[in-house]
Amino acid sequence: MASNSSLQRPPNTRIDTTPGAFPSSPAQGQSPTVVSSQLSLSQAVHERKAEYTRLKRIKVKVGTWNVASLSGTEKDIGGWFVDGKGVSESLSGLSLGGEEASDNKDNKADAVVESVGEQEARRSKKKPTVPENDPGLPPTGEEIGIYALGLQEIVDVSSVTEALRPYSDPHPTKKWKQSIADGLPPGYQRIAEQQLIGLYLVIYASSATAPTISSVSTTSVGTGLGGYMGNKGAVTARIVLGETTRMVFVNCHLTAGVEKGSLERRNWDASQILSRTKFDPVYDGGGVMEEFGEGIGDEDFCFWFGDLNYRLEDMPGEDVRRLLMLHTRNEYGKAQASKQKIEHELANPESSTFHRNLEAANQPSGDDSSSTHTAADSSSGQSVASSTTLSNQEAYDPNSDPTSLQTTLSSLLTHDQLHAQMRTRKAFHDGWREGSIDFLPTYKYDVGSVGMFDSSEKRRGPSWCDRILYRTRKDKFAYEEKVRQEELAKKRDNEMKLQGVVEAATDEAVLFDYDPENDGADDQYDGSTADPEVVVTKAGFEDRLHLEYYKSHQRVLSSDHKPLDAVFTLDYDAVDPDLKAKVHQEMARELDKAENEGRPVVTIVVDHHRESDTTHTDSGPKYEGVDFGHVKYDHLKTRNVTIANTGRVPATVGFIDRSVDTGQPRGVSPPWLSIHFDRPSDNNNPNPGALQEYTLQPGDAVNVELTLHITDMDMVRRLSEGEDSLEDVLVLRIHNGRDYFLPLRGKWLQSAFGRSIEKLVRIPEGGARKLQHQRPAGSNHSSHHHPDDKENDAVKWSAPRELFRLTEAIESFTERSMAEWEMKGEEGEAPWEKEAAWPFSGFVSEEKERGVLRERVREGLDTNQPFTELFVLESGSIQRLEAVAETLVQFLKSLEDGIITEELWAEVEKGMLEHEKVKKPLSDEDERMWILDTVSTAPAHGVSFTFITFMLSRVANEVVPIQQQLQRRGTATSFDDMEAVQKSKDDPARARRREVDEAYAAIFADAMIRLPTTLTGKARKNTDVRRKHVVEVFLRSRLGDGS
Amino acid sequence: MTSRVSTGTRPGARFAQFKLVLLGESAVGKSSLVLRFVKDQFDDYRESTIGAAFLTQTISLDDTTTVKFEIWDTAGQERYKSLAPMYYRNANCAVVVYDITQASSLDKAKAWVKELQRQANENIIIALAGNKADLVAEHPDKRAITTSDAEAYAREAGLLFSETSAKTAENVRELFTAIARKLPLEQAGARNMRSNPRQGVDLRPEAPGTQGGGACNC
Repeated sequence: MASNSSLQRPPNTRIDTTPGAFPSSPAQGQSPTVVSSQLSLSQAVHERKAEYTRLKRIKVKVGTWNVASLSGTEKDIGGWFVDGKGVSESLSGLSLGGEEASDNKDNKADAVVESVGEQEARRSKKKPTVPENDPGLPPTGEEIGIYALGLQEIVDVSSVTEALRPYSDPHPTKKWKQSIADGLPPGYQRIAEQQLIGLYLVIYASSATAPTISSVSTTSVGTGLGGYMGNKGAVTARIVLGETTRMVFVNCHLTAGVEKGSLERRNWDASQILSRTKFDPVYDGGGVMEEFGEGIGDEDFCFWFGDLNYRLEDMPGEDVRRLLMLHTRNEYGKAQASKQKIEHELANPESSTFHRNLEAANQPSGDDSSSTHTAADSSSGQSVASSTTLSNQEAYDPNSDPTSLQTTLSSLLTHDQLHAQMRTRKAFHDGWREGSIDFLPTYKYDVGSVGMFDSSEKRRGPSWCDRILYRTRKDKFAYEEKVRQEELAKKRDNEMKLQGVVEAATDEAVLFDYDPENDGADDQYDGSTADPEVVVTKAGFEDRLHLEYYKSHQRVLSSDHKPLDAVFTLDYDAVDPDLKAKVHQEMARELDKAENEGRPVVTIVVDHHRESDTTHTDSGPKYEGVDFGHVKYDHLKTRNVTIANTGRVPATVGFIDRSVDTGQPRGVSPPWLSIHFDRPSDNNNPNPGALQEYTLQPGDAVNVELTLHITDMDMVRRLSEGEDSLEDVLVLRIHNGRDYFLPLRGKWLQSAFGRSIEKLVRIPEGGARKLQHQRPAGSNHSSHHHPDDKENDAVKWSAPRELFRLTEAIESFTERSMAEWEMKGEEGEAPWEKEAAWPFSGFVSEEKERGVLRERVREGLDTNQPFTELFVLESGSIQRLEAVAETLVQFLKSLEDGIITEELWAEVEKGMLEHEKVKKPLSDEDERMWILDTVSTAPAHGVSFTFITFMLSRVANEVVPIQQQLQRRGTATSFDDMEAVQKSKDDPARARRREVDEAYAAIFADAMIRLPTTLTGKARKNTDVRRKHVVEVFLRSRLGDGS
Repeated sequence: MTSRVSTGTRPGARFAQFKLVLLGESAVGKSSLVLRFVKDQFDDYRESTIGAAFLTQTISLDDTTTVKFEIWDTAGQERYKSLAPMYYRNANCAVVVYDITQASSLDKAKAWVKELQRQANENIIIALAGNKADLVAEHPDKRAITTSDAEAYAREAGLLFSETSAKTAENVRELFTAIARKLPLEQAGARNMRSNPRQGVDLRPEAPGTQGGGACNC
């Protein structure tokens, strides 16, 4: 269960089961959502497997047959493989005595099973050769859940063309599929097939079993010519039964022959098949793919069968033939061709070995001949050859003891190469088992005969070339464990030897004396007849495998090999899909529940500001968002929000980009709002554009300061016009949790700022704030633009009253400031001495102080209250003056259209250019005249312009008083005047005054006169000069023109 | 000369995750539908959703197909309408809810459908749910929208449709299952299926020799 240590805790064992309790350690409260996924679902489902698996039993029939590329072989497949026909009881040492079988078969009229003679006589390639009326060896037909058939040489692999074929010709498999399908009961489905040249593996499953088979993967390995061609090799299939049991089927055809080296080559073939077979990964019940593919050995049960081609060694083949035909001849009636042929051969003994073996075959054995241990355990194989008694005629007695067949087989099996390889751990030694062999060698027979071994020139020695082996996972582990123990023992043995403990106690010596030739073989075969062993399958389910029988079908005549098959009973825990679906659903629900309940939860508390400063305009339900109350231009307002983690797991929170339309400005908040958390964000990224996230442990809280500040004039204008509103929503996202909407609102207080002159002159008495109730907040419907309404409702002023009030205040505060300065006898340079642009620039008061005062000034303007009543008492005249002066400049700049609008300026500049062309400079007076005329085409603008320039000249004259040298107004063009002007230029006071004029002109030209934004570069510079000139000429012209 | 064929009679189980958004006028029962679907509960009085609740719910279509919904239950109040695209933008499916006793709520639902069809993922599966069927069962005269009218509209607009009751659970699970069945599992499989081979781990116990050090820690 190593993998389970990393699993998520099952939901029902969560540590924090007390409602509302925080986990003892925050780190333990990891969000289940992190791990809740398909993976954990399948894990959780898997852990409850006991609830949805049910014990099932199926029978698996494995068959193998080398068909020698003979046509007609396919006709027999249904008969022997499905129906179990053709097993000769007399030749498999089962129950019937030889006498009974041989004497009666020919003659009995009521014989159930066709006689061998009749069978051989009627053989044709068009019909099955299996005996008629053979009831077949059960289990057959539908009793079998899975049929796995391995065929060899379905094409002639000895032909070079076939052997070197780079691909398998699928054509020959068609007739096989057809024949098998015809032989199987209805409902069987082919679930896997794989061909490699002459090798063909095909697996069928019953209609009940087929749907429970998954993860089918087939492959092939060629080990033939060059080690890779497909004339030899294996075709393999891996299936998963009932989602639990992995089964592998290997159908192989190993290198043939008895000559030197062929045995080693067979072993090599087998090792190649083992190492090179790789299946596709298995999908487990949850659909999660394993990352590794599978080879042979990763399964729970493997069946390895085919023409393994292992021979009988150290025995002349001819002797074996004759010895075996002593048994097979009993199958025939006296008059039969085969019988005569066999008798003829037996009558002409050719070697002494033959006689010795004959003797041995008829000698009652002292061993327990029915035990399969005999073959495996007798490692020497000497017992048969030890007899020196010469043969006599009695030995041919057809009524010999029926056990003699088994005795013969047992003695021959001691010469079996495969058993020898297993014993000596050269091949098929790691856990492979085989049922006991109680049938004749399966090779080689004359085609068409039941028992005539190869009568051709070659007279090949009979061998058990065709085999069915099997291995369970437990077998493999047991072998591996055994090897480990042996190595340990060996190591200890060596160590003891090194320590000089050679004379160890004898019983210990047994323990440590290891002889691989003998010791390892003890348990190789004993499982075949023992109780079925419990096999813990890879998936952790307990399965049992039991070999029912292992038989050759001696009476199948169509090939030179006899087919053989084995039936296994498999008890396994199969997944019940319905039960599993139910568990799956339950687990999904539980995981969902854990996931949903384990989500981080925060509580957001808006710290409500003073009740008086909220917008209780609508008496609806309590506002759940952040209410900024009354909002004014350039006025900071702050609200606090507390975000507390009230859940049981850490919560990572952050405001997310709430922009939804492409045109909308991106960001987590509107431009007029800034958000400040009382701690650095998780990644501490100073970039304001970066996503800022804050992780709160359960019980932790963070304070968020929301600051509203509206300075953007466009925004002010839109708010004043009702085109925009102070309503927005912030979106706070909780990672793996919900999104919280945090609505914001504020009530915009109408202001004179940001309006046009035309609008300002319509502001009713009492200031811009009076507009507050004229239109519903937040709406700007077209009905409000009815010109008639506007004209009628509007209060008309000649110029904005704000300008009047501001200019008046500036003049008055200037006088007072200077008077105060003088009165107080302040030391040092006066502000106006230091800075030519003062009081419109070069402030001496602090920005913060001024900011407060400016706000009061604006409030005074918008509510039509006297400034002095609004100013804090401590503020001096200079501070007040600076605040008012600065407000004027800001106010002018805020004007939507400007004192001299773009259009008016275009006219003014056009006139100036014309005058420049004439090259006859106008007098200041004349210039002033036509400028005013031009600007006054928009009367309110003209009046406003006059207000401001008049105020400026008054202030300038206040800060740099000039003696009234030029008294005669209207005669500025006279020579005397010019002379006077010239003189005045030399006057230091006049020079200073000039500086002041220029400084004022620069500031106010910019504040009052609007230029097209397209104007840039040199054109812009020239225009700036003219713009400044226009203002300056009004200041200059008013020199000394007081009162 | 090695070939490999995989012919699984049953492919590995499919697991797909889809984003679902609920839209509709305030107080038609969106959150109640989700509560019924996810927790099989019902509250007679629920506070209105301020935000977007996030929940997940897994349903099995058959023994091999599992669909996990990531549900975003949005606030229905008008003032939050502009935020809805954040939630339907990447949604695979939407449930547009109206109240069968409130005629205006269907108009609102239709507006949502229109917006979804214009702005959302073009393959979005939309289901129309006429909620509060229980009210009509008790007092038939409370019905403001006939089933046939809504059905006709749904057919015309290509929507899944059913009348539901979060209170009695009528048609709630069925509605979500119908959506899951209509989702493009095959296509989405590749994209939405969480089958990262690297995460794959043999979960079965007793598998000696196969447990590498790379067992996933998730």
